[in-house]
Amino acid sequence: MLKTIHHFQTSIGRKQVVATTGLMLILFIIGHLIGNLLIFGGPELYNGYAAFLVKLRPGLFVIEGALGVVFLIHIFFTYMLIHDNVRARPKNYKIVATKSERSFATQIMPFTGTIIFAFLFYHLWDFTFTPHHGAQSILRDGKDYGLYGLVYNAFSDPLHSTFYIIAMMCLGFHLSHGVESFFQTYGVTNTKHTATIRMISQTFGVLVGWSFSMIPVYILVKNLSGN
Amino acid sequence: MDKKLNLKLMLWRQNGAKDKGKFETYKVKDIDVSMSFLEMLDVLNETLTREGQEPVAFDHDCREGICGACGAVVNGKAHGKLKGTTLCQLHMRHFENNETIVIEPWRAKGFPVIKDLVVDRSSFDRIIAAGGYISAKTGSAPDANAIPVAKESVEQSMDAAACIGCGACVAACPNAAAMLFVGAKISHLVLLPQGKVESKTRTGNMVHQMDKEGFGNCSNEYECEAACPKSISVSNIALMNREFMFSKNPPKP
Repeated sequence: MLKTIHHFQTSIGRKQVVATTGLMLILFIIGHLIGNLLIFGGPELYNGYAAFLVKLRPGLFVIEGALGVVFLIHIFFTYMLIHDNVRARPKNYKIVATKSERSFATQIMPFTGTIIFAFLFYHLWDFTFTPHHGAQSILRDGKDYGLYGLVYNAFSDPLHSTFYIIAMMCLGFHLSHGVESFFQTYGVTNTKHTATIRMISQTFGVLVGWSFSMIPVYILVKNLSGN
Repeated sequence: MDKKLNLKLMLWRQNGAKDKGKFETYKVKDIDVSMSFLEMLDVLNETLTREGQEPVAFDHDCREGICGACGAVVNGKAHGKLKGTTLCQLHMRHFENNETIVIEPWRAKGFPVIKDLVVDRSSFDRIIAAGGYISAKTGSAPDANAIPVAKESVEQSMDAAACIGCGACVAACPNAAAMLFVGAKISHLVLLPQGKVESKTRTGNMVHQMDKEGFGNCSNEYECEAACPKSISVSNIALMNREFMFSKNPPKP
């Protein structure tokens, strides 16, 4: 037990915690994305999926709670690493330049992470812990479309949609470095596979960012064209 | 006809570890483009000495890019803008006339400044002492090829062994991490049968020492590989990470 604690007090041990929790969050995101894309199947399918999730409660609350803890561990260990990193260079360079193809996504990791963290609370307040029936669920034909209507109405507002798209772009950037980092931290990377892993990581980031953003974009376009 | 350069140098001057230090501006004239960066600093030092000023302290030894003694951050880049070279192998032909060059020492908690551009890199020695060796039975030399080694392992091990311990990886790392150095030192031993024997304790001991020296944590940005004069691959860090999972951690002091 003591040995395990010591392990997670080391630099690499902490990185492995961030990588492991990151992987769990990635799995959740994949699941969440698949669920979200059901919106293209129409109100019945989408609301049916939402009802199915509600039926899984209270068991689902346990999983959601665990996921919340995983999320906090991910943030806490990252914070500890950053704290050490800042202390490791007490005086900064006058000129900071790069010699590599250090990507934009890599440099903004802490910022994209912070935005995702803030977004989570907004998102839960916006769609999860809000009534799924009533005025905000009623579409143009005067019928109550439940969660489908709620999402549809929310994304009909360009400002609301833009905010979501920005957050999802941040997620995409975060993942495009995150997936690659996972492989490096667990020592899977070697000279043969580095390029492939980097490609997978960046493709995954772009794919997730665009797929999530497709929903507000689709609704915006549909709404603008008057259907 | 050789081109001559006139340059403005913004140089970090720090009189001892306790001094706060500051940038001083110097002008050097008629620098031959075939001079190395260190020779340009020699010219500056000769001028300073003649004028009765303190010359700039900088580390150097072989001046042919193999010893790892020299190094400074030039315009924000460790060992200057060229890839795969040390500072002594950076020649003045890569600079423009009337250019301003900002020269700083390696900056890291693990590398305290001794004077001007000279930093104390004994933290690297302590990391090596923590496990970067093989406890070999000395005596008569073993027969050649008595221990079979895969060609690929030899290549990887030798690539890692090219590390000259200059510290550019730490200097270039946005987090002042020493993981490329430690990774290279672990790889070059663990990939060979002779090094495998002690691998379980070696990695843990070396990583613990690295943490104790106050180096940062790798965030996989790979600046180190780009700045490394021997272009040592970050895959050595991956190998260290893998080794660390199965290593025995030393007891906490």
